[in-house]
Amino acid sequence: MEALNLMPEILFYIISGMVLVSSVMVVASRNPITSAIFLVVDLFFVAALYASLGADFTAAVQVLVYAGAIVVLFVFVIMLLNLKPEALRGFRFTVGEALVLLITLTGFVIIATELAHAPPDIASPGNLGAAAIELAGGNTFVVGMRMFTAFLWPFEIASVLILLAIVACVMVAKKDKKSGLKGHIQSSGGN
Amino acid sequence: MVAVENYFILSSLVFLCGLAGVMFRRNLIMVLMSIELMLNAVNIIFVAASRQLGQVDGQIMVLFVITVAACEAAVGLAMVIALFRRYGTVNTDFLRLLRG
Repeated sequence: MEALNLMPEILFYIISGMVLVSSVMVVASRNPITSAIFLVVDLFFVAALYASLGADFTAAVQVLVYAGAIVVLFVFVIMLLNLKPEALRGFRFTVGEALVLLITLTGFVIIATELAHAPPDIASPGNLGAAAIELAGGNTFVVGMRMFTAFLWPFEIASVLILLAIVACVMVAKKDKKSGLKGHIQSSGGN
Repeated sequence: MVAVENYFILSSLVFLCGLAGVMFRRNLIMVLMSIELMLNAVNIIFVAASRQLGQVDGQIMVLFVITVAACEAAVGLAMVIALFRRYGTVNTDFLRLLRG
């Protein structure tokens, strides 16, 4: 029984180690294609993390939408543009950049200490507890029920947002007939 | 049961990776990928807090975040393509002006 009790801990440390290594590789590798592949690895292990937290449906959506659709989009664009590996700038921190990283870390520590000691919110209408979720028909069923009742309005707004994104993509990426501004902008802005 | 603090530590480290990518990389596509990393870090906190608080609202919020991330990636990549078509580069040192 001891070994079985230790299993979630070991699993968590393996998964989170892989998540950390792959996210560092996403940022640090010179070739964009390598970054995209490591992004897939990262997203898969984050999905594994969700599954180990009992969020089955979220894990499935993570793999389908993120790894299946978004990263494929990234890879398509990288191949379309035929990008060369970029020369990495040396990691020279300016004071402002170091300050940004420090402030972000401080904010995370504050959020973590606040949330980690928050008691389970029994009075909230959405509160079910792990046992109640299992009893009510599993994670996917409960998420679906909650989404199409309490979160129906945000759900519909999300569909409008996707429609807007489709229109915006077509408008932005459409071939411009009169793109003669190149020389003008280069002479005035880019140096 | 893994303590919820561990998930926060993991999430903050992944978020800092993404933030460093946005600050230090000079390729626009790499900046977009780093933004995806940061959104993922926030999603980890959502799901961990959802288990900690004993409700599924955090997981539903993750689904909305994924929707927004997909829209953002699609529009961002469309803009990258348009910029590359016009200027022939995706380097953020060159593309500093908001006007086209």
